[in-house]
Amino acid sequence: MVDTFATSAPLLDAVAITHSYGRKLVLDGASLSVQAGEAVAIVGENGAGKSTLMRICAGLIHPSFGELRVRGRVGYCPQIPGLFDLLNAQEHLALFAPVLGASEARVIREGRTLLDELGFPIGDRSPTRDLSGGARQKLNLALALLGGARVLLLDEPYQGFDHGSYVSFWEHVAGWRADGLAVVVVTHLLTDLALVDRLVELAIPGGETHGLESLVR
Amino acid sequence: MRLRRVIVPATMTGRELLRRHVAMGLLTGLPLAFYGSSLSQGAQHAAVTGGIAMAFSVAGASIFAALTARPVDQRLVLAGYHPHELLLGRLLFLELFGLVVAALFSVIMVLGTGPQDPVLLGVGVELVAVASVPFGLAVGSLAPHELEGVLILIGVVGIQLTLSSTQTIAKLLPFWGAQRVIGHSVGVSPATGAAPLVGVAYAVALAGAAAYIAHTRAPASRAIGTR
Repeated sequence: MVDTFATSAPLLDAVAITHSYGRKLVLDGASLSVQAGEAVAIVGENGAGKSTLMRICAGLIHPSFGELRVRGRVGYCPQIPGLFDLLNAQEHLALFAPVLGASEARVIREGRTLLDELGFPIGDRSPTRDLSGGARQKLNLALALLGGARVLLLDEPYQGFDHGSYVSFWEHVAGWRADGLAVVVVTHLLTDLALVDRLVELAIPGGETHGLESLVR
Repeated sequence: MRLRRVIVPATMTGRELLRRHVAMGLLTGLPLAFYGSSLSQGAQHAAVTGGIAMAFSVAGASIFAALTARPVDQRLVLAGYHPHELLLGRLLFLELFGLVVAALFSVIMVLGTGPQDPVLLGVGVELVAVASVPFGLAVGSLAPHELEGVLILIGVVGIQLTLSSTQTIAKLLPFWGAQRVIGHSVGVSPATGAAPLVGVAYAVALAGAAAYIAHTRAPASRAIGTR
């Protein structure tokens, strides 16, 4: 599709997304639009289709119906880290290097900086299998941030983070917004809602939302 | 396609696989166990059984490599890799791995069996390795989980093991060419004829199937831009 967006058009625009897994309807006309410099939280009960919507927005699955437009590179942090068990953090960074238009050394340097900022034990050369859940999640997040994504899709990105890392994560979100990125965070934590610009609440098809919009700053 | 986009995934596939020491030991020991346990039925029979059983090792490793890489591949394709680059990288490493294992195993079988044509025996075992990798990658791309993949592997290789190379069903299976070559090298099968070519053609067809599956399973959008 040809890019016909105006400059102020949203970086991510998902309209009336409907999706089913077999006979089970998981998304029924969900919409999500995110501008540059905006942070949006997606909330909803278990089974409301939050992760499915993120995977559709990332282009990992085709929706049954609906329209999706994305402007710019997408960085996707899945809820369950997609990592090789027996490769270490540096090897994961090296694996992404050939497609990021930079040398391996530069990508590793950029990745190590990101990991260091997130509180990853940077000197740890252990395979990811031997890392703590929080450290694996930090690597998962860092891989999504590599290469200068303009749209960040973060599906419960701080599972296993300690308090300091959690605070640091939200400071980064503020920084990404200031840099003009579109940030989408799936969350279950009501305290997070004060840290975003807007909230999209998904309901289980046939169910109701809980009117959480008032919690947004 | 830049070479680096193939070599780096190939290297990482190798590291991930070779660090699984126990699995590697089992994978390389399995055909030896088949060979050793079949010796009581005759050295010729053991050579054919052991040679085909090597498909358990190489195809098993390939299935495992494809399945463990699936969630990572999605992210890599999203980052800019073409699915075929990842597949080719994996194929290159696994073929190299398979050829080395097959060469070592051939030496053991030549020493243990004393075939009429030792070189042909080696060619047959290498053919098993060549066909096993795309077979394993295709199964690994299709199977929803490891269990289903392993069951398909056991089914196909097991049926091939139980059939004579002269039977029609055997000719439809991916390791028939290798079976005929190994059998002829030890004097239990008719002349090889076009069997080596059939083995290679089967391997190429399986690689094509794996590439097609990888293409259809790729994320909706790989490119940076609008969709």
